[in-house]
Amino acid sequence: MSLEKNIKIDTRHLNLYFFEEKILKDINLEITSNQILGIIGPAGSGKTTFLRSLNRMNELEPGSRIEGQILLDGIDIYNSELDVISLRKRVGIVFALPVALPMSIYENVVYGVRLSGIKDKARLDEIVEKSLSAAFLWDELKDRLNLSGLRLSGGQQQRLCLARVLAMEPDVILLDEPCSGLDPISTSWIEDALIELKKNYTIVLVTNNTMQAARVADKTAFFLMGELLEVGLTKQIFTAPVKQETNDYITGRFG
Amino acid sequence: MQEHFNEEIENLKTSLIKMATLVDDQVERVFTALETGDITLCKGIKAKDLEIDIYDNLIQTQCENILALFQPVAIDLRFVLSALMTNNQLERCGDIAVNIAQRVKKTTDMQSLIKESQILDMGQQAKEMLKNAIDALILNDLDIAQKVLESDEIVDNFNKQIFLFLVERMKTDIALIEPCSHLIVLIRNIERLADHATNIAENLVFYLEAKNIKHQIKLNPPTE
Repeated sequence: MSLEKNIKIDTRHLNLYFFEEKILKDINLEITSNQILGIIGPAGSGKTTFLRSLNRMNELEPGSRIEGQILLDGIDIYNSELDVISLRKRVGIVFALPVALPMSIYENVVYGVRLSGIKDKARLDEIVEKSLSAAFLWDELKDRLNLSGLRLSGGQQQRLCLARVLAMEPDVILLDEPCSGLDPISTSWIEDALIELKKNYTIVLVTNNTMQAARVADKTAFFLMGELLEVGLTKQIFTAPVKQETNDYITGRFG
Repeated sequence: MQEHFNEEIENLKTSLIKMATLVDDQVERVFTALETGDITLCKGIKAKDLEIDIYDNLIQTQCENILALFQPVAIDLRFVLSALMTNNQLERCGDIAVNIAQRVKKTTDMQSLIKESQILDMGQQAKEMLKNAIDALILNDLDIAQKVLESDEIVDNFNKQIFLFLVERMKTDIALIEPCSHLIVLIRNIERLADHATNIAENLVFYLEAKNIKHQIKLNPPTE
């Protein structure tokens, strides 16, 4: 069913708990391939928890458990036989704060790839160029690949993190507030990169900047107190939302 | 920030209401002049129209500033867009009041023809539509807006009937060609006034209900 509708990720009746507290409540959400899904909502609405559930990162937190299903290409990612490491290769994540490793730009990009066993220099060179190009960084950094990643600006470091995820050739890219600390120019580099990347990847973007969702997302989902209150085409959500709460949130009346 | 934004929206609403009130007064005056033949009422109409034009510019600037500084969305965006559109309609209504005043001056001695031709009934209907559109705008009242939308056809029918009536009169009496021509221009203006009232009501529906109902009959004709 999921494949027929070009659905990359399909969450069905997803409940997520930390100990006894129910954080996500009956989330049913289909994420279409090669689209950007923006997730918006006030602090504590569950949007980051939802994002982290898509590559099982919540499992790293004590007391977390889920009910329901998350299907990736029709396969339940919480299936006990599924290899979590390979899942996280397929579903990469970029965090709010860029984490450049204390090594060269080149090594930052190939870090995960080396761990997965690829050693061939020519192959690694190719991956570095491809990943940095896709993250709109190649032209800026191609002559300085041996420079420490820590010497880059915040905006460049964030794109470097994106390049590191892309190097793993994932299917899905999750982004948790990727531009929260960035200036408008760096933000627009990331946004341009995302729009370009959706041709080859499915992207889920959690953002507190509702206008960022308006600018880049094909569809937008509004979370409130652990519930998915409304999801629709971004144009519809930002011009004529159905729910009063969505209207109030995006117009800044609460949140 | 939200407080500052609300203040800007309130200022825009106030400007729109003030402009609408000015337009309403102008239209009321020219129709009274038409009904009574008292052309002294037409004095000052043109000068007052400048005040309307000043509001036109002010509202455009207010909308531009809100869009640039606050990037409103959803109902706020629709309000600003509908304010921009309604501003345009009101400004045109102001111009039409000036045009009607000019025709009234030129047709003062044609009172019997005016009464006989149902122009006063048409004017009354159009004036009522504009008044209702402005009330709907001020009160955010969709029921009143609906009344306006339903009345447009009545004015259109008056327009057709009166036009035919005036053409017939011109055919029968060559001396009536010039005054009837003025009256044809007059009814054209009244008909446009009703159209603008309709547009204002449509803008309100867009703002409050997120529905674009413009050109509906032309774009989706009834299937029978």
